[in-house]
Amino acid sequence: MSIRKQGPTRRTLLGAAAAGAAFGTMPGLIRPATAANEFKIGLFIALSGPASLFGPTQRACADLATEEINKAGGIMGRQIKLIPTDAGGPPAETTKSAIRLMLEENVDVFVGSHDSATREALVGTIKGKVPYVYTPVYEGGECSFNTYVTADTPEQQIRPSLTWMMKDKGAKSIYMIGDDYVWPRKCNEQAKKYIAESGGKVAAEEYVPFGAPNKFEEVVTRIKSAKPDAVLITLVGADNVNFNRTFAGFGLDKDIARLSLLLEENTLHGVGADSSKNLYSCMSYYENAPSAAAKKFKADYVAKFGDKAPQLGRIGADCYEGVYCASTLVTKAGGTDAKKCMAASEGITFPTASGDVTMHGRHVDKTMFLADCNGTEFNIIKTFADIKSGDECKPD
Amino acid sequence: MDPLIVTQAINLVYAVSTLAVLALGLAVIFGLLGVLNIAHGEFIMIGAYCAYVTQSGRWPYLAAVPLTLIVCGVLGWAVEWIMIRPLYRRPFDTLVATWGLSLLLRKIAEAIFGLGFYSVNIPLPGTVHFLDTEYPIYRLLLIAVSLIIVIGLVIWYGGSRTGSRIRAMISNPELAQAQGISVRRLAAGTFIVGTCLAGLGGVMLAPLIPVQPFMGLDYVLRAFFVLIVGGLGSAAGLLSGAAVIGGVDSVVSATSSATDGYFAVLVLSILFLWLRPRGIVAHS
Repeated sequence: MSIRKQGPTRRTLLGAAAAGAAFGTMPGLIRPATAANEFKIGLFIALSGPASLFGPTQRACADLATEEINKAGGIMGRQIKLIPTDAGGPPAETTKSAIRLMLEENVDVFVGSHDSATREALVGTIKGKVPYVYTPVYEGGECSFNTYVTADTPEQQIRPSLTWMMKDKGAKSIYMIGDDYVWPRKCNEQAKKYIAESGGKVAAEEYVPFGAPNKFEEVVTRIKSAKPDAVLITLVGADNVNFNRTFAGFGLDKDIARLSLLLEENTLHGVGADSSKNLYSCMSYYENAPSAAAKKFKADYVAKFGDKAPQLGRIGADCYEGVYCASTLVTKAGGTDAKKCMAASEGITFPTASGDVTMHGRHVDKTMFLADCNGTEFNIIKTFADIKSGDECKPD
Repeated sequence: MDPLIVTQAINLVYAVSTLAVLALGLAVIFGLLGVLNIAHGEFIMIGAYCAYVTQSGRWPYLAAVPLTLIVCGVLGWAVEWIMIRPLYRRPFDTLVATWGLSLLLRKIAEAIFGLGFYSVNIPLPGTVHFLDTEYPIYRLLLIAVSLIIVIGLVIWYGGSRTGSRIRAMISNPELAQAQGISVRRLAAGTFIVGTCLAGLGGVMLAPLIPVQPFMGLDYVLRAFFVLIVGGLGSAAGLLSGAAVIGGVDSVVSATSSATDGYFAVLVLSILFLWLRPRGIVAHS
């Protein structure tokens, strides 16, 4: 997942600015004595760039989990201190921050809600030295040492929703459109398996450059002439909005169903009521998910942050479960020793925004919701209970 | 004819004409004043937000036009007065200053509207049967309006008194001043026209795209490509640049893929910078 869009000219300038900022924060070596016993969580969220529209929700949800855990005594008696760190820029910038957090701040755990390209870079940088919890929605297959995934997997997200689209809605040919990076390509690889299982066919598979100023008139015209029954969308953020508005603008929304794999409340606001007919989404959390836990989570969230709180959605709510996963894992392992954490991760149960989940093979089994769009709100039409991740890693 | 080809052909015309109107403001400011306005995209963004404000105030869509002209006009006036005037004839300094301005405007938009996406309803929804195919009415209208704006401005610039004063100012500011032309006021006016045109582009495009603080980045880059390829300071340059950039992107996107289309645009811009840095229509 994620959106990243910066003009090349700006990127170089921003790089220089970031380097300057890094120098500015160097003299952080003297730390207050009271901080010694805090449990530090390095929280990778989008604080800059276009994905930063998720930042306030990510921060707020992580804060909510932190407050709850700290009130209950913290992690092994230590109060959690969140260190929100930007992961909205290029992966190389985020890995620099990770090194700083490990060397200067001695963080105990990392929790990350960001795109897969950044995850791959972070795994290579952290090298299992610090437990790392990855939370949003992803393409599966992450089994690196000391890495724990609570994200929705293709088996949980794509298989049930796409199979429903084909079996119940009778879609036979599927057109795939996505941004050109690891998440869409790997998701479509999985989706092709599910399409073959249901006896359907792939009408076409097409990608647009990730981070470029895309427009979709040509793509939509091609889809129109291919006449698929449904479109599987792995575009993110502004591209997702843009595509869906163009799609409906050309009048294709009446006859062709759309299933988007990263459509949450913020993105749907952009798509707008006039373009959201016949558009579906599948995720483990929506603001109006019909579970008691989701209702309680929302009530607690509104109680803490008020009516003007940042818009809730899967990208953001995932940070709540990320902090809980880290807390539960470390408490059971009796510390942050990598081998002990790896062993302890099997079978831990912890809360998420939509109910408790249990970790197996460093992934979680979870309940998924299928929603169609009613104007700019999601309407949950189906619940897939306790779906296995399908991505269980072997014990190391 | 095959409806696919017809639709892609209209897509091409649409891409070229909207690109021309989006680059127009930049062409005026960069081409006539020599000021590299990096904040051009942010004025487009402001226009788009004006369209959103108009919609949320339940006013008719066209009310966004005067609103944008006021907001972008006042902003353009203030920016020219405070920031640009001391920096004329220092192109690199204006580049850095307007880059700072673009960050500031984006942050102001973020402070007022937040980072979330907004959508503006299409004033004329639906499609119409046109040349053997179904095409969205609003996009057809945009093609017409874009052409009217560009051609209208070109005729006005070529034929009006103000147009000839601007030309006098560009070719020899001192002599123009000596002739009783207020160069300072004329330059300010030109800058304001540029920012207002950017704002109008934003109003026109707002119903088709997500409105958010970062949207300007998408357009400023393409507008620069248009000017690089077409050349500065003339309408022919603007139109040929828009035709080449928009056309190549649209044709390659239609026949191959969007990735190849974007790749072709980048390669073309680099080739022009390298081999023909003054563009197709070199200004004397």
